[in-house]
Amino acid sequence: MKNKIEISELKVHYGDTPALNGVSFDVYENEILGIIGPAQSGKTTLLKVINRTLEFTQDTTVEGSVKLDGVDINSIGDVHGLRRRIGMVLPLPVGLPLSIYDNVAFAPRTAGMRKKAELDVIVERCLQQAALWDEVKDRLDSLGTKLSGGQQQRLTIARALSHQPEVLCLDEFSIAVDPITTMRIEDVLKTLKNEMTILLVTNLVQQAKRLANRTAFMLNGDLIEIDNTDVIFSENPSNQATYDYVNGNFG
Amino acid sequence: MKRAELIFQSIALITLAVAFILFWNFGKGMSFVENGLLSDTTATDSYAVLQENLNRMIPVLLGSILLSVAIAFYLEEYLVRTNWKYQIIARQIVILASIPSLLYGLLGLYFFVFQSEKGSFFTHALTVVLLVMPRTIQSTQRAIRGVDISIREAAFALGAKKWRVIVDHVFPHAFSAIMAGIFTVISRALAVAALIIVVYVWTKHTLQSGDTFYIPGSAIVLLLSSLLSSVFSSFLEAKTNCT
Repeated sequence: MKNKIEISELKVHYGDTPALNGVSFDVYENEILGIIGPAQSGKTTLLKVINRTLEFTQDTTVEGSVKLDGVDINSIGDVHGLRRRIGMVLPLPVGLPLSIYDNVAFAPRTAGMRKKAELDVIVERCLQQAALWDEVKDRLDSLGTKLSGGQQQRLTIARALSHQPEVLCLDEFSIAVDPITTMRIEDVLKTLKNEMTILLVTNLVQQAKRLANRTAFMLNGDLIEIDNTDVIFSENPSNQATYDYVNGNFG
Repeated sequence: MKRAELIFQSIALITLAVAFILFWNFGKGMSFVENGLLSDTTATDSYAVLQENLNRMIPVLLGSILLSVAIAFYLEEYLVRTNWKYQIIARQIVILASIPSLLYGLLGLYFFVFQSEKGSFFTHALTVVLLVMPRTIQSTQRAIRGVDISIREAAFALGAKKWRVIVDHVFPHAFSAIMAGIFTVISRALAVAALIIVVYVWTKHTLQSGDTFYIPGSAIVLLLSSLLSSVFSSFLEAKTNCT
């Protein structure tokens, strides 16, 4: 399988506090990689390093390398273009102070797309993929921040899909979404896997079991184990801590 | 509607009405406050001085406010707080903003009234700038810092450039808080201007003629405008806290 992302000896510190302690692994193209682990294990930090949004957090130091298609992400001059290649969905919905339509059209517009007909197609496609189209198709001009929490999170997903990313990072996307909608979005993710690589950070281990081709288990900034999901959730993962975590013995 | 809110809004409306009546009457040159309370030509002169100065100073005031907002955005969005440039500028702003408005007023009074008969445009403008800019920059900085980091992260994660993030997201989110700060600063500036007029009239006329102290109508107008500005500021602040 072709490597989409190669992470090598990645270390991150917030001030003097370590967040990642030399993490190394590869992410294959067109796979869903589940990343599980308790709080403070460095999952979100890892995603922020990959799309370079960690740069907005002051007093952080990053060592090691992250390569996208073999190119070190820090050597890419067009950081805005890089972020368009790597979509990000944050745990809690962040409604931009724009209409529903403009929320989804925001990223394509920043990329230079201006034709309304093209934007209309993208907006409809992304809202359908995020299982939101039927609920908002008659009020696309309404303010996105006025939607319910679950709808806003789906709007966030639609927004992340709008720039057709090569990699989609989902950071606990279902935290504010009801179970039925979560299942609908999970179905969408299974089909999106054919078009993009998906990194799924989740606290719901069963969600990783349902969706991920491979799963990585992180604990206190260390990568404890990464393997096929079947192995991680079997009776015999390589590490006892993995077994204990996925079976609810701690965390 | 809560009783306190009702009382607050009533005060605001009454203040607005009184301020409007006063401005309207002065505009017509009738000056009923002068006639009713003062019946003195000096007070009418003070209004003429006020009108003349307002005409000259409003552009300076607006320019100072716009420049202050721009400086605050530059400091918060384009400079890192540990940067030496940020440290130097921020420290000067804190020092200037911590000086009581009254001292700026006395400074203005000294240059406007005692050093020259009418005061020069430069000294007028300098006082307005010193009075308005540091506090506007500070309040705007606070408003910008109040915008949740997740808003910026969400926009940056979509590949937006800094300028787009500021214009499309940070500014709209901070707008109410910025305006609240601006109205507070205007309120203080008007109150200080009223003080200057009162002292001007007392020193130039009352003390010389031996008449009883009185409050010039133009100072009353300024004080009412100051109160009105405070009311607007409170409304905007309440709105900011609600959103």
